[in-house]
Amino acid sequence: MFAKGTNKGFLGWMIFGIAMLALPLFASSATVRIFVFANYIAIFAISWDVLSGRTGYISFGHPFLIGIGGYTTALLTHHLDMPLYITIPAAVLVTMIAGTLFFLPALRIRGTYFALVTLAFMELMYGLVQVVAPDITGGTRGLTGLPSIVTGAVSNYYLSFGVMFTLGLAMWLLIRTRLGTALGSIGMNEEAVRACGLNTTKLKLFAFTLSAMIAGLGGAMYIHYLGSIAPRGLFDVSFLFTILVACLLGGAGTITGPIMGAFFLTLLLEFLRPYIPGSERYLIYGVATLVLYVLQPRGIHRLIQITVNWFVEGFMRRKST
Amino acid sequence: MKISKSSKLLLAVAAMLLGSGMSGSSIAQDKDPIVVGYIGSFASDTGLSTIRGAEIAIDELNAAGGVLDGRMIKFVKADTREDVAEGIKAYEYLVESENVDFIISGSIDDVSLGWLPRMAEYKTPTLDTWTSYVGIIDLVVNEYDKYKMYFMNIACDEALATLYIDFGKDVLAKEMGYTSTVLMYEDTAFGVSIAGLVEGLLAPEAGIKISEKIIYDANTVDFAPLFNKAVSSGADFIYLVSSVRSQVPASQYVKLQVPIPMTGVNVAAFGQDFWNDTGGLGAGTSTLSPVPSVGMALDDRSAEFITNYKARYGSERPIYPHFNGFNAYYGIYTAFAAAERAGGFAPLDDWIREMENEDLKLYKDGELWFRYAFWKRGEIEPRTQREYTHNVKFDITPPFDDGSPAMVVVQWYEDGSSAVIYPPKFATGKFQEPSWVK
Amino acid sequence: MLIQILLPGLLLSGLYALIAIGFTMIFSVGRVLNLGYGAFIMFGGYIYYQSAQILGLGKVPSFVIATAAGVLLGLIVYVILIRKLKGDAIAIEISTLIFAIVTQAAIIVVFSPSPKSMWPLIPGVLRVGDVIVTYNLVVAAVTSWVVLAALFLFIGKTHIGRAIRAVSMDPKGAVISGIDPDRINLIIWGLSGGLGAMAGIFLATYTQLAPAMWVAPLIIAVAVVIVGGIGSILGGLVAAHVIGMLETITTTLIAAELRGVATMLLIILVLIIAPKGLFGKAEL
Repeated sequence: MFAKGTNKGFLGWMIFGIAMLALPLFASSATVRIFVFANYIAIFAISWDVLSGRTGYISFGHPFLIGIGGYTTALLTHHLDMPLYITIPAAVLVTMIAGTLFFLPALRIRGTYFALVTLAFMELMYGLVQVVAPDITGGTRGLTGLPSIVTGAVSNYYLSFGVMFTLGLAMWLLIRTRLGTALGSIGMNEEAVRACGLNTTKLKLFAFTLSAMIAGLGGAMYIHYLGSIAPRGLFDVSFLFTILVACLLGGAGTITGPIMGAFFLTLLLEFLRPYIPGSERYLIYGVATLVLYVLQPRGIHRLIQITVNWFVEGFMRRKST
Repeated sequence: MKISKSSKLLLAVAAMLLGSGMSGSSIAQDKDPIVVGYIGSFASDTGLSTIRGAEIAIDELNAAGGVLDGRMIKFVKADTREDVAEGIKAYEYLVESENVDFIISGSIDDVSLGWLPRMAEYKTPTLDTWTSYVGIIDLVVNEYDKYKMYFMNIACDEALATLYIDFGKDVLAKEMGYTSTVLMYEDTAFGVSIAGLVEGLLAPEAGIKISEKIIYDANTVDFAPLFNKAVSSGADFIYLVSSVRSQVPASQYVKLQVPIPMTGVNVAAFGQDFWNDTGGLGAGTSTLSPVPSVGMALDDRSAEFITNYKARYGSERPIYPHFNGFNAYYGIYTAFAAAERAGGFAPLDDWIREMENEDLKLYKDGELWFRYAFWKRGEIEPRTQREYTHNVKFDITPPFDDGSPAMVVVQWYEDGSSAVIYPPKFATGKFQEPSWVK
Repeated sequence: MLIQILLPGLLLSGLYALIAIGFTMIFSVGRVLNLGYGAFIMFGGYIYYQSAQILGLGKVPSFVIATAAGVLLGLIVYVILIRKLKGDAIAIEISTLIFAIVTQAAIIVVFSPSPKSMWPLIPGVLRVGDVIVTYNLVVAAVTSWVVLAALFLFIGKTHIGRAIRAVSMDPKGAVISGIDPDRINLIIWGLSGGLGAMAGIFLATYTQLAPAMWVAPLIIAVAVVIVGGIGSILGGLVAAHVIGMLETITTTLIAAELRGVATMLLIILVLIIAPKGLFGKAEL
């Protein structure tokens, strides 16, 4: 059922899972807090990777999907006092419907053009939240005092990690099935896939809805973790930048790469804070990202692969002599 | 003289040996410091004003032998880059990594709203010096137990707007004879709420009719169509509400030589750097400003603060602190005065009680000039008939002798100088129409 | 009422055309989006500010310095980023986006995040009835039309221009006929940097300088390219006027706060209905 190499990868997931489960035992709660952010960015990166990593439909509008999810649950809990076990599924559902909005242009355009139309969706949303019914959405200031799912650094860590790990592993397994292969081949040659008798429209719709589902779930949980929501924090180029760069710096299309990218970016920025507290931090962060990306556009995932292969080959060579 | 690392070590060892032989007074040196955290931007004029105000106060307190039985104050800072999510991370960092006892904030509206849930979770005493959003005060009023550790020592925007109506009545209507205005405001929450307050009060209280409303996108590049529309409406003046990129409407107003006067709220014009930032194209702009503003006469203590500020930071911008620089300076003093009486920042309720009792009054020539006290729980402001729990105790009820004004009106003249033009008690100049207005 | 829309609308459109042209060129020739284009605009604005307003070198020399600095920046970006990524469109888009973010961070460190207003390039205003426009914007619009006309001639009449057109139509074919696409791309990036910086001077003297100012003109440029269709200078010119007029009409007649929303809706509609734009064709 799964492509080869799955067992070896599975081992990697287990090591990663155990290490992460053990983290709160020896890390300070400040560090744990940083990892909560990393987990959420990783969820968003996974969502992006499902849609864009393999299919060639590059989304610049993921903050739009995440924001839809976030605002849905924020509005329902804030104004109607609805419980989270209703509002979060509702948010996921609404985001999935919004995801089909993305799907419509994708019937006609792809690549760069598709990226631009999704970017326009994000900017449109940014404009609309402020203008339309600001007394309900909170306008530019947004809403605060939203209920939290669990409290405290450690419980939020386990919650976010659990969701991220489950989604990540599920998606990683998915791309190793025949369905995943078909999605991947859309990115290479959509006409050829169609010629093979597969319904590419259905395949794309599946990828889009799945991605929107993850974005909606992640977005809803994220804003309940933050406890507040504001348009400037969500429909923003720097938020888009974090998600996009996490995926591409990590290695798009691999699911594990984007997770690594998300962790790398979040941790780099936070661990620099005590040493360079001011605005120079963002300059160094940006330059480091740029250099790394230009040196290896296929990402950290590829770098690790190269390193592992190098060690394995070295080991084999020594064994054979 | 430079001391090498090894000799420093020797000195330290010697000091320790000496110290171990003594008791009592010298132990003060070894006490844990009190940690004050700053949350806000590191690079903006707003952020720098709060940082520097707090820094000066903390250094003065430390130089005077420390606080709470000779403990030193350590000042740590976390950058928000004026970004909501970064603000939340910064708050977590201050509490979790730096174990701060008290946080002073120079955050803007949505950033403060962003970290507010963290404050409620950690229960860290926090004082905001910049945001004036009445919505945060409403949270304290409505959910006191959850948000009681929050204080704001700038008058909230509702108080600002209320006093501004008086300016409309006394100066714009009575003195200048204006009868109609174009209300032009940005589509941010700030713009909409201020404009709403003005709209509700200007006509009934000051008798000035709003002949046209123009809401504009905060990212507007080109104000020419907006000004053209305003002029063709035939109104006597433009009432502008702008908090984002406020130099743009101000300088385009001058570049376009718009033939009717303009007043209102222009956040950029709060700072002394406004003139240079507009390249000298800030003439005519008048804006309400929280106090203490530019162009305002100061009491002795505040004047001394400015002398120290200038000596310390010279020509580094902001060359003159914004109002929140003063708020941070006095905020540190009030927070620690409360802590001295309460025996520290913990237990929290003791500190809150003492902070609520805090009342720092500043006099100029025998007159009450500024006042840093807070509205108590259940206390009703007589003019608006509502509560402002933990907001600074502003005075918007005649005869205005009971505290700081909520705001003053400042005008920038064509020669680059600025003056307070309202209320009369604080005025140092008069309202003037720009020379190109006929 | 008509003049209140037509005159400012026309001038704003001219400025938009100038903003978009450098972006369109790279898209047409290399088929890649330079998401760092906004950084060229911002860079030009800040260099001009430093030179004219802080160092006091005079307006004309500062204009030349800033434009030249833009050309240099375009060349540098091409040599250290674009050439290495060998036509991988996604990689180029992402790395130029990171480049823009890095530029923004650098501007904050060097110039502080406070916005700065600038002296107009040409002071004074033109009054037509109730309508007021600045000479600055008039000059920007005229410059834009002149630059576009010059570019039209350059592409059509010169040897390099024809080589550029050949690369934009068919890169492989161009190589066979002895054109070095690398050299052509280098020229295009330099030209784009210079045009971006020039647009930045006009934009910044008209509005203001701020470290986040790269986003708005980038979105304008993207809108112009989408609406006009890639590879068409004339289409770009028309699209800039459609967008400029749309903005002015929205601001004056409908509601000023919907200015940005209208442009976004236009982009989405055009991309869905006519993905190739109104004047899309495969060549420059």
